[in-house]
Amino acid sequence: MRKTNKMIFISLLVSVGLALSVIESAIPLPIAMPGARLGLSNMVVLVTLVVFGFKDGIKVGMLKSTVLMLITGSVSSFIYSISGAILSCVLMHIAYRYFSRIFSLIGVSIVGAAAHNFAQVSVAVMMLSNTRIYSYLPFLLLVSLFSGYFVGLSSTYIVENLKKNFRVLFSRQETI
Amino acid sequence: MTKGDKILVLFIVLLSFLSFAYINRYAFSDQEKFISVQVNGEEIKKILFDQQLVGHTIPVETEFGYNLIEIGDGQVRVIEADCPDKIDVKQGYISRIGETIVCLPNKLVVEIKGESGEDDIDIMNY
Repeated sequence: MRKTNKMIFISLLVSVGLALSVIESAIPLPIAMPGARLGLSNMVVLVTLVVFGFKDGIKVGMLKSTVLMLITGSVSSFIYSISGAILSCVLMHIAYRYFSRIFSLIGVSIVGAAAHNFAQVSVAVMMLSNTRIYSYLPFLLLVSLFSGYFVGLSSTYIVENLKKNFRVLFSRQETI
Repeated sequence: MTKGDKILVLFIVLLSFLSFAYINRYAFSDQEKFISVQVNGEEIKKILFDQQLVGHTIPVETEFGYNLIEIGDGQVRVIEADCPDKIDVKQGYISRIGETIVCLPNKLVVEIKGESGEDDIDIMNY
């Protein structure tokens, strides 16, 4: 696959992630918890990690947060989201690359969701200089289990589909 | 869903329940009051009392002036100010809910508020 193709594909992934983030904010959650999200756009990061590897995964994650800040215009949520994106991307990469024999994509996605929440709460603790906010983490972790599970499940289908229909992505990965 | 996934899920569930139990037992058991630092009517800082913060000083520097706040064990005072009369420094410690230290020249209000509970989460902005 040529460099241009790859670039286009990555920018497509970023825009899909953005669209998912925007749509996601319009979906009401059955539980009223600030900070609990469906994390649909995590799907995009996960798929990028699997298809293109770590470098592009973290690129997509960071681009997504940055452009989402430009769309929504809230800088404070940008700080939360980019820290979550970076930490979850690093941990998902480690889980996928080195422990893929133990975890399926569902496990990888749950690791990512938990890391995302942990990073967000940590940033909140730092910004408000109040360690008691960590007491909120157990709730978020429990919720992240569900969202992580379904994000992982859908990513499995997406990756399967890409392997079937977009062989070019997987064929000559080493030459890029 | 592999075996590893299930173990991971179980681990996270256990972890969150254990930490929830731990937090319930230790974190919210003591006093539920906090320091609210307001400048020109706006709350700029909100500090929950904590043993680790005893002796901690917080500089408040705004366009209206400079004050230094010291946190004690369940109490708070202003120890330095650049206002002329220094009424806020002379006032000493305040510790009860509803008490205030006011520095009018610097438009500073240090107030102790109650019923914090889980209010602190409400500031988070997504």
